[in-house]
Amino acid sequence: MTKSTKTILWVFFLIVALVQLFPLIWLIDFSFLSSNEFYSSSVLKWPSDPQWQNYINAWVDGKFLRYFINSTFVTSVTILLTVILSLTLGYAFTRMQWKLRPIFFTIILLGIMIPIHATLLPNFAIFKALGLTNSYLGLILPYTAVSVPLGTFILTGFMRSIPKAMEESAVVDGANIYRIVFQIIAPLTAPALVTVIVTTFLNCWNEFIMASTFLSKDALKTLPFSVMNFAGQYSSDYGSQFAVMVLTSIPAIVIYAIFNEQITKGVTAGAVKG
Amino acid sequence: MQKVFNNKMAIFLFVFPGILLFALTFLVPIVLSAYYSFRDTLSPGTPSAFIGFANYTQLLLHDSRFWLALRNAVLLGLGFILIQHPIAIFFAIMLDRLGGKAEKWFRTIFFIPCVISVVVISKMWLSLLDPTFGAFNKMLDSLGLGMLKHAWLGDSSTALISMLFILIWAGFGWGLLFYYAGLKGIPDDLYEAASLDGASGFRLHWRITVPLLSPVITVQITLAMITALKQMETVFLTTNGGPGDSTQFLAVYLYNKAFSASQYGYANAISILFIIVCLLATYISNKLTRSDATEF
Repeated sequence: MTKSTKTILWVFFLIVALVQLFPLIWLIDFSFLSSNEFYSSSVLKWPSDPQWQNYINAWVDGKFLRYFINSTFVTSVTILLTVILSLTLGYAFTRMQWKLRPIFFTIILLGIMIPIHATLLPNFAIFKALGLTNSYLGLILPYTAVSVPLGTFILTGFMRSIPKAMEESAVVDGANIYRIVFQIIAPLTAPALVTVIVTTFLNCWNEFIMASTFLSKDALKTLPFSVMNFAGQYSSDYGSQFAVMVLTSIPAIVIYAIFNEQITKGVTAGAVKG
Repeated sequence: MQKVFNNKMAIFLFVFPGILLFALTFLVPIVLSAYYSFRDTLSPGTPSAFIGFANYTQLLLHDSRFWLALRNAVLLGLGFILIQHPIAIFFAIMLDRLGGKAEKWFRTIFFIPCVISVVVISKMWLSLLDPTFGAFNKMLDSLGLGMLKHAWLGDSSTALISMLFILIWAGFGWGLLFYYAGLKGIPDDLYEAASLDGASGFRLHWRITVPLLSPVITVQITLAMITALKQMETVFLTTNGGPGDSTQFLAVYLYNKAFSASQYGYANAISILFIIVCLLATYISNKLTRSDATEF
């Protein structure tokens, strides 16, 4: 490719990237404005007097810290459980020999196709009867159940490409099945595990509909509710609403910035192996 | 070795917790849902009478909303396939040509909307498309296109297309990433051979890239249809199905029936049909696409 084509391509991408990010730039820009400045005719507006108060409102009235801690706890436990269950299920489906294997594998994969929204209503009834609504477990259980099928699918694909010789030599050295799975297979599947972790993180961290159905107790709510807190009484205070949206987005963007390379690698590995 | 792989105790320990969790949160609820779907339950746990297939006949024969919701899902899915995916493929090819640091940077930037919470995305677009202070109408004004100004999500003629636009914006990064990953798996020497034969530019990609990407494309088309069927959060948080059912989707409909309209039994019938529709859609697209996957 010639240098000039490359430059044109570069400029083209730069423009598209700006267009793509425009909504977010606008969000950040307007989070520094006072509400009466919203109605001016300009599309973007340099804040003459940046309203830091908006961010204080967002932090305090959005109950940011409380919800952030809840999100972190629920997401971490979900990720841990998802990794362990997907790893053991994946291993049992690719290497272990047992009769019911194809049936159980199909059942687990059905989980990818069944919409969670369809299980929302009965789960609400069950969780209510079991006293699981308004508990961390009431989110962790369905989040894990939703994440495990995809995790198992990604890991089985990856494990099939690992040569059995690894396990054979471990058996010769006297390792038992549990050591093989957790000390030999787990590190070997690390790239796929990172993909599982990141997709689980993104799904659970931003999940809203199950959380809003199963939780009513304020002390347990997760990060998306920070934004929802501004829907009622603050609905005309746009500046604070925008500030809370910016704050809510920051953790996921930071995590993404750190794991960006692994996401691409994971997807690439998945796409090529199909 | 066989002894290790046949370890019954290990198999049980590996499989039981996952299957149990799955049974408790998927299979039991679906059975319960089927049970409620044959009753006239108003809210979970209240006494109710068995009414046979009444909910289902009402839904399939007399409920135009149900069919509207399905139609909207099909339209949205077609929108994804005809607009979002060609754009994603085009950008993946261009990105692959770009190379170097810039390639990595732009790939990263395009994915950013995908990591943002659906609540933020919905509220943000609600504001962007707001008729009074939204940036979109202001932009039309400054371009001298003020006559196009519009309550984009509030008008039933533009609500669904606006929804498609929001969802394309939010999901573009995933599509791009999948196609980009698929491209990276195509060996370079195929392109070299084709350019020796005189193919170049658009023809080169039409003849080589698109056919070789077809396994990825077919999977993505299936996923696009399923994504359209499962659409809920963005709709729920922006238009809640309105105005006048123009953005109605099955998941939104069943949620509102259960929790706002107190027709829990009826909502469960929608749930069961919803599951059947999703499984059918997966089955059909698998059947349609499996045969022509290209190997390389």
